[in-house]
Amino acid sequence: METKRRQLAAIVGEDNVLDDPKTLEEFSSDESLCEPLRPWFVVKPANESEVQALVKWANATATPLVPVSSGAPHFYGDTVPTATEAVIVDLSCMKAIKRIDRRNRIAVIEPGVTYSELAPALAKEGLRIPRPLAPRANKSVVASLLERQPTTIPRLNFSLPEPLRNCGVVWGSGELAFTGEAGNGPLNLEAQWQRGLAQVDGKGPLATDLMRLVTGAQGSMGIVVWASIKLELIPAVRSSFFVPNAELSGLVDFIYKLTKVRLGDETLLLNRAKLAGLVEPQPAAARKLREALPEWVALVGLAGTALLPEERLKVQEKEFRALVQEFRLTLCGGFAGVSRADVVRLIDGDAGDHPPTLAAKGASQDIFFLTTLDKASGLIETVRSVAARFDYPWPDVGIYIQPQHQGVAHHVEFNFPYDPDDAKEVARARDIYLEASAELVDQGAYFSRPYGYWSELVYQRDASSTEILRTVKQIVDPANIMNPGKLCF
Amino acid sequence: MEISRDAYRAIEDIVGPDNVTDDPAFLDSYAFEWLAELVRPNRSHYMPRPWAVVMPASTREVQAVTKVCNKYKIKIKPISTGWYHWAAPMKDDEPTVQFDLRRMNRIIDIDEKNRFAIVEPYVICAQLQAEAMKLGLNCNIIGAGSSTSVVASACAYFGGGPSSHYMGNNSDNLLGQEWVTPAGKVVRTGSLSSGAGWFCSEGPGPSVRGVTRGNLGSRGGLGTYTKCAIKLADWPGPAEMEVKGRPPGYRLPIGENFRAYTIGAPNWEAWANCYYAIYDNGLGYIFHRQLNLAGANLATALWLTYIDPTKTLNDVETLAKDPEIIAINETARISFQLILAAQSIDGIQLQDKILDEILSQTGCYRVERYCEQDMAEFTNMYMQRLGHKHCNFIWAGGYMGSWMQAGTPDFVKGYVPTAIKGFEDDQQSHLLVECGGDALMGCGSTLGGGGYFGLEQFVSYDPASDASIDACIKHMEDAIADCVAQGIPLGKEQLYLQIGWTDQRIWDGMAKAPQTFVLDFQRQFKDAVDPNYLGDRNYPWLPEKWGEAPAPAQAK
Amino acid sequence: MTIQDYRADALRCTRCAYCKWVPLDLMKSWRFSKGCPSIEYGKFHSYSAGGRLITSLSLMDGRSTVTDKVRDSVFMCNMCGSCDVACKMCRYDMEPLLAMHELRAKLVEDGDLPEAYQPMLESLRTDYNTMGEPHERRGDWAKDLGVKDLTKTTAKYVFHAGCRYSFDGEQSEVARTAVAILKKAGLDFGIMGAAESCCGGKAFSIGVDQQLHKSADHNLAAWKKAGVDTVITACADCYYAFKRLYTQHAGSTIKVVHMVELLDQMVADGSLKMTNPVPMKVTYHDPCHLGRQGEDYVPWDGVEKKIFGQAVVYDPPRPRYNGAFGVYDAPRNVLKAIPGVELVEMERIKEGAWCCGAGGGAREGYPKFSEWTAGERIEEAESTGADALVTACPWCERNFIDAVRGAKGKLEVLDILQLVDMAL
Repeated sequence: METKRRQLAAIVGEDNVLDDPKTLEEFSSDESLCEPLRPWFVVKPANESEVQALVKWANATATPLVPVSSGAPHFYGDTVPTATEAVIVDLSCMKAIKRIDRRNRIAVIEPGVTYSELAPALAKEGLRIPRPLAPRANKSVVASLLERQPTTIPRLNFSLPEPLRNCGVVWGSGELAFTGEAGNGPLNLEAQWQRGLAQVDGKGPLATDLMRLVTGAQGSMGIVVWASIKLELIPAVRSSFFVPNAELSGLVDFIYKLTKVRLGDETLLLNRAKLAGLVEPQPAAARKLREALPEWVALVGLAGTALLPEERLKVQEKEFRALVQEFRLTLCGGFAGVSRADVVRLIDGDAGDHPPTLAAKGASQDIFFLTTLDKASGLIETVRSVAARFDYPWPDVGIYIQPQHQGVAHHVEFNFPYDPDDAKEVARARDIYLEASAELVDQGAYFSRPYGYWSELVYQRDASSTEILRTVKQIVDPANIMNPGKLCF
Repeated sequence: MEISRDAYRAIEDIVGPDNVTDDPAFLDSYAFEWLAELVRPNRSHYMPRPWAVVMPASTREVQAVTKVCNKYKIKIKPISTGWYHWAAPMKDDEPTVQFDLRRMNRIIDIDEKNRFAIVEPYVICAQLQAEAMKLGLNCNIIGAGSSTSVVASACAYFGGGPSSHYMGNNSDNLLGQEWVTPAGKVVRTGSLSSGAGWFCSEGPGPSVRGVTRGNLGSRGGLGTYTKCAIKLADWPGPAEMEVKGRPPGYRLPIGENFRAYTIGAPNWEAWANCYYAIYDNGLGYIFHRQLNLAGANLATALWLTYIDPTKTLNDVETLAKDPEIIAINETARISFQLILAAQSIDGIQLQDKILDEILSQTGCYRVERYCEQDMAEFTNMYMQRLGHKHCNFIWAGGYMGSWMQAGTPDFVKGYVPTAIKGFEDDQQSHLLVECGGDALMGCGSTLGGGGYFGLEQFVSYDPASDASIDACIKHMEDAIADCVAQGIPLGKEQLYLQIGWTDQRIWDGMAKAPQTFVLDFQRQFKDAVDPNYLGDRNYPWLPEKWGEAPAPAQAK
Repeated sequence: MTIQDYRADALRCTRCAYCKWVPLDLMKSWRFSKGCPSIEYGKFHSYSAGGRLITSLSLMDGRSTVTDKVRDSVFMCNMCGSCDVACKMCRYDMEPLLAMHELRAKLVEDGDLPEAYQPMLESLRTDYNTMGEPHERRGDWAKDLGVKDLTKTTAKYVFHAGCRYSFDGEQSEVARTAVAILKKAGLDFGIMGAAESCCGGKAFSIGVDQQLHKSADHNLAAWKKAGVDTVITACADCYYAFKRLYTQHAGSTIKVVHMVELLDQMVADGSLKMTNPVPMKVTYHDPCHLGRQGEDYVPWDGVEKKIFGQAVVYDPPRPRYNGAFGVYDAPRNVLKAIPGVELVEMERIKEGAWCCGAGGGAREGYPKFSEWTAGERIEEAESTGADALVTACPWCERNFIDAVRGAKGKLEVLDILQLVDMAL
């Protein structure tokens, strides 16, 4: 072990190899119910060449590597080692914003850059990045995109990985290679920029889409050392609206229409518990607030960007109001305790150091999947019946539905708050998670990001694509040193 | 190489005798392909003749025939609508079964609410668009036009088109797909693999589609795509196109919530600025530099001839000398087509105002003659259905696209002068159509949301003339030389030419690529899913350690 | 012309496959998106116009020989011209239909005409009709009508009944109606009766060009002798033969009028008043030889030349037959003038119409294919909700009638003259 320590220190420097019990403990588990396992080291590389050296070292020493970019808390078990003797590769120090290309609206950033760090840098250029709903302050932009975390503006989502475009990847084999358009050019970003290339097109290179092989991989294919991201203009004027309804089904066609005609920027659906939890950090106040809220709320942001922003907003508002009327819904600018300002904070801001899902009881068992919106109500019923089976109070369950890929797919997420210190509650949360997941899969919920138990559920049913993924893994990480034990490898 | 007749009989047993042939004349109809004369010995218009042509009707039949091919080590080459020289078998000494997928021609479903269609390989874009429009939906039609297969562009080729700016590239519109590997296994991708329906292409976990659908797709070199789901966009027009006029220049009246413009620019700098402004402002339902395919010197004369059903190409010669036409032509010299669409009258009027502002800021303008009713309606028809895309061949029956390197507007602007100068020089031989050095055509963006595209030089030659064919080949070589000299990545001409090259020559070139990771990846992946190497080099790979001394004596 | 004359067309074919579809702009649905019956039935590329150009090339270059399959691919085609229209959507230097004809002619010359055509050709040789009927009975349909016999007298106009109306008892009534209308129009006309000969168009369509020449010589001489300057017919096949083929191949200068054109003119000038309501929803089928192939013949004797270096044009300019100016409006004007008639259009109309299946000798040589082609059209007609499928060609009508009966369908098949007759 000491030999390994010395070798690691030679790569990243003595100060960047951590093996104190507290640090190791922090990385031994997360907020999920996955089995804890202590890593041997946490290393903090500073740049691409250190990462590459680490991966080569891991191949030489058959040491599992677990890449981590975001700060704690982590949620889904993907950053907790599954194999013994693992080394956590903590990329949070790689914080370079390598380039912001205003004209082409592309940023190139390292994996340690968080949403809260990137936003002000972009704002100076009048730019922003489509982002997930209320990310925690230390959430890595690159990690969020690699995990295909949903973003809130479906009209910009021409593909699920959007706005992720190109990546620089140190593959499990130790080779450095770029994805997409960047994979055709010199293996050097500066040299590409000099040629006028801007890492815009995510496809390729050639007949392979390498980016698609690192997304959703939970760090099992390689380590992304930079990513290019498509940016958007900051709106000059905005407005936001709530469209409340007692039933989700009453909002379904309305949301379909909005995403079809691409009217609106932020477009999402929240149940009362979720909305209350997002705007009110105090559990008691949140519980009180939720009683005053409608069962379901569609939250829609409109924005005037670029030329004639006011007129754009005016036209959008007119079309939006007409649609609300067409679907016999009502509009409101807020509720008691939930204002438009709260909405802007949710959309533009971050959740600080305390993720809202943990606020209610200190822990939350999340279940999320993709489906089409017309199936969402049925799948919610499934979860409700499982919750009832275990006497879980349904009003406590937060539900968030996020249209993705311009409304073709929808992220449906449940948060089951529980007390991590109460063994019964922990057991109940686990039981609900296991049973609901199994039933949801049976009913066609798509666990596209198969963390933990979900990977068993999905890969057991799918021998042919499992075989393909294993082939890919064997090619890019022949020694299986990248986060082994996750997914189907 | 002699192949046992047992193989033919086995295939016949699967698809029935009416659906397989080895009649030489029939086989020639598959060997004959556009561009073949540019790469084949003696300017032959034929690629290698397939050993047999088979028409499977289902995934099961595709799988079964693929297994027979594995047993007898016969190459496989699937086509949908079957176009380009690379659609045919590649090598004379490699017996190949050509899969003609025309019997797999169903639109299995259009999910109106969730806005996607599930199609088989022989469904063409025009068919899908016609059906989608009935539901207020539309599909991205690729640059090659609406006679092309949806599955081919989504799963196996490029996927960009004039509407990609708004509707997305078909790579990104691809949802679930069904793939029969060259080894004969059926693989389903995305949500389909989990039995959750067709709506999602990604995952579970890393996306299997990452190995089947890169930038270009495998063009028939990595098995057969038998179905896919494709994302649709909204269509704010009528359920049925109300086409009017006589052939060939049909017209599509412009609805009150639509506009059909040709925008001109005083210079390439202004043109690029205009592209960036359109990108930033999110304008455009269809955005394309289309009509310039005729060449900037002749475009106005050609299209005004084309929309008059009483005229022939002879009239272009006269018209091109008309001072009034010459004047119009100059205003349209650096131009592109822009179709606007909105959900409301307010919306379209606002878009007009935004466009006015962009034009005012960039010094660009609406080309008046092209925006008059006849040309505007023709432009609208052309761009909405892309049913005139084979006007690519209008001058002489031969067209070869050089350049087409994709990048940002500034990147494209950077190579335009070289592309124009090189083409102008090569026209001096009189062996190519002399339409001016700028016959550059291409999408406003090949990516959804804008900002990325290439311009393709439309080089027209006469495929019935050996001298003209040779001049076209010379132009391709000149374009490569220009690119090398100026450090510009090689364009489409290279892609076309290398179809005629030996493996050795291709691999020697590949070994010098700035990054070879993906070529090594594809070799290893091919080893796994195509152990008998039945797919051709349209799915390219680099033999292990190729280019490293000493060169291997033989590679697979 | 020979297939060698179309060698450049073959070399310039890009295998784009437009020839397989209706003009793409006109496509309205998946179901009725196809333009070419032959490729839909035969499936392999060789059954398309583009495929046949390649077959020509392959044969010319000695790469292949005429096999049974090749023979089928050449002859199992309606020669309907849908491919020709679609090809010319983007091309001015291609003549696929003419090239296909020359390929047929070449096979005929080499003795490769399918055996199935022999009875028809024998009938033409011995009885001057395609129907296998004794030529003496050719004028029987008009026996009691008191029409001038132009073998004995003269007239300005001749009404040419054609083989089908002359011999198909079920259809002869249409010819009789035509005569009634011609009388009503007050025209100086007559018929040739038993001396009328087949137009020769059908034989020509299968590549037996000599038969056209024989028929043309006979008919033109007979008409000349009778002082005729205009031939009127209710048959689209005859119309095409007289208007296009006779002019091109026999130097004919005679005027040619289809009954729908005459009716249209009579409606327009008020000489035909239809007052009886005919409460019927109808759809109209454009016969290929009246519609997209019904354009005027323009004499041309020129050569290819190049402009702008390599752009292909012709000196003098070559006439362009692409269906732009076929006879489309006349029948529709007539139908619209019939009180009570509601005209509903099929998806594939005018230059984009799907063939009835009888053309190109398919009915005689490939009856199953012919019947299938008709069935496709019947289905399209039925999809409009029409009570009747109306057309203006006896060959189309016969094929449709047989297809409807074969399928035990309810759709009525009518000639436009029958509807006019009901309204008079």
